[in-house]
Amino acid sequence: MKLPIILCEIALPLLYFATIWVYARAFFSNIRPAERLSTPLLFATLLTHGFYIVMRTAELRHPPITSVFEIFSLMAFTVTLVYACIEWRLKIKSTGYFILILPFFFQLVSSIFIREVSEVPPILQSNLLGFHVSSALLGYAAITISAVYGFLYLMLYHEIKFSRFGVVYKRLPNLEMLERMSFTATLFGFIFLTIAIIAGIVWLPRITQEVSYTDPKLFGTFVIWLIYGAGLAAKRLRHWQGRRMMVLSVFGFATAMFSMTVINIFLSGFHKFY
Amino acid sequence: MNFFCLGINHRTAPLETREKLWFSEKEIQSVVPSLRQKQINDCVLVSTCNRTELYYTTREGSANGEPLWKRLAEHKQAVGAVREEHLYSIPSLNAVKHLFNVASGIDSMVLGDIQIVSQIRDAYAIARSLSATGAVTNRIFDTALRVAKRARTETEISEGAVSLSYAAAELSSKIFSDLSKRTALLIGSGETGKLTAKHLVGKNIGTLLLANRTRQHAEDLAALLRGRVVDFDRIAAELEAVDIVISSVDAPSYILSEQDLRRAMKLRGARPLFIIDIGVPRNIDPAANSIESVFLHNLDTLNFVIGKNLRRRASEVPKIRRIILGELIQFNRWHASLEANPTIEELRGRLEEIRRQEVEHHLRRFSPDERREIDVLTKRIVNKILHTPTINLKNGSDTHQTLRDKISLVRHLFGLDRRNSG
Repeated sequence: MKLPIILCEIALPLLYFATIWVYARAFFSNIRPAERLSTPLLFATLLTHGFYIVMRTAELRHPPITSVFEIFSLMAFTVTLVYACIEWRLKIKSTGYFILILPFFFQLVSSIFIREVSEVPPILQSNLLGFHVSSALLGYAAITISAVYGFLYLMLYHEIKFSRFGVVYKRLPNLEMLERMSFTATLFGFIFLTIAIIAGIVWLPRITQEVSYTDPKLFGTFVIWLIYGAGLAAKRLRHWQGRRMMVLSVFGFATAMFSMTVINIFLSGFHKFY
Repeated sequence: MNFFCLGINHRTAPLETREKLWFSEKEIQSVVPSLRQKQINDCVLVSTCNRTELYYTTREGSANGEPLWKRLAEHKQAVGAVREEHLYSIPSLNAVKHLFNVASGIDSMVLGDIQIVSQIRDAYAIARSLSATGAVTNRIFDTALRVAKRARTETEISEGAVSLSYAAAELSSKIFSDLSKRTALLIGSGETGKLTAKHLVGKNIGTLLLANRTRQHAEDLAALLRGRVVDFDRIAAELEAVDIVISSVDAPSYILSEQDLRRAMKLRGARPLFIIDIGVPRNIDPAANSIESVFLHNLDTLNFVIGKNLRRRASEVPKIRRIILGELIQFNRWHASLEANPTIEELRGRLEEIRRQEVEHHLRRFSPDERREIDVLTKRIVNKILHTPTINLKNGSDTHQTLRDKISLVRHLFGLDRRNSG
């Protein structure tokens, strides 16, 4: 494997660690230079990660979806990418630490265990499948972020309600803003999950004959999509908001994680590749 | 150093004495020139509700004469009410340090209150407009304003509310991000309630509703704060539309029950309702805090927030002291480097004299055009020779002793002392 790829595998966990360390310093100690450094470091990490994914795809001639550890790295990238978009859009940095800790662990595990798969099944070399998986990962990354914001909302909600004015109260943006951030992430997530499902249902049968609409992962993803769709509809039509929506966001994420874990470990289907 | 501070503040005198020595902007403009007529050279007079301080430099040989505090008191016709023991006098570098403490907010009555910065800036501007400041005073005040800026941006000395009304407004901003889309309801006309409503208006609250048992009181306040009056009997019904409630009513029992709020929340959906109950005894049933999305806080909460913020501010003081120490060291070095100025001037004069003599000695050998060129050329050479020694003497990083040694060496090498004595 090419040296730049190996170097990236070593550098990325270090870069993620440095990034969350800077965000943590800015959040817990309110160190101004750390706050100024946080966004450039985040974008440097994101660029390095993007470069790594492109290099790996080009070098190995398949999208990085052929092993769990490649998926982990892609997950780290997508969570960071979605977070960077939200930070850029809303100009709020104080939640970075809570989000970026996830990609750090994903990338750390990936960098430690990632190996080049010797024989890659032809289906995993398809760029169309790469698009389907990337969309699904972006969707999951967004709902992960939405859940983190939901969780932060609930923490701040309890601090204000029960007059415990700690560091969360001091540093986090207000409840309305956290709700907006969670909603933005949910919307992202729903759109990407929709794209992933459409790509899966419509396009993949053209590539493989093994597609089954009763596949557990397909079913699980559809249920998750329905939960988020119902939440968005409730917000739009029944004016749901505040704590109720945040609980729903955390619940949706827990369901997604539970369903994906159970399906991946205990059930089999055409969707299980490794 | 010839720099002093004469002052009166909340620690040395009660309000009724301090107010006797309070100077308006107009009075400052008239008193500064009159003070400068006798003993004083530079003069900046800072006057706020908590302190009046005169920062000044004296003319040489002006130690005697009428005490300054008396002249200030006479100007305000306050001799007798203001006595010498009410004032303090701080000399030299300690006066500079005191000004930095004041500007950074660590000497304020409410720790971290940095409104004083704008008052210092204004006083300094007035003094400058009256040509009442020299290089040293300018440097001191410019540094003081920088200290104030650094204290504000590099520490949290002025963060967090430290008054009841601000604490209430701060709490509301932790729930809502855009108050211009929100509606607040002020019930009653207690002083803290009114101040909180004023802060909300200052924070651009969308709509302000006012309710009072005596409708006229509400109407008077509504005219002042550009609010709208609602019937006191209809406050429970108004809860559906409002986001913030400030209650400050003198009532023997609750004016809003838990049931009132439950009913309102059913109509509101999950929209948060923030309630500040400043009444004693309390106006709102505390059980209402158990309702989802209702945030009910009372005086205890606000006092807790204030206490916490004050402790946080106090924990920032060491950081500010470090900033002040650093700036003081820099200022002191700069001030010490001023000692080199006479030597630099003499050295420049000595070299200029040599240059002029040599040029004049040979001048007849050249045409008028060439003479001009030679004059310019030789001046340039002298300036270039002097450039590095001047920088080194004024670099400001030497200790006082090193600087003195350097000055003495230069004077010895170029025979400046011999020349003076000769």
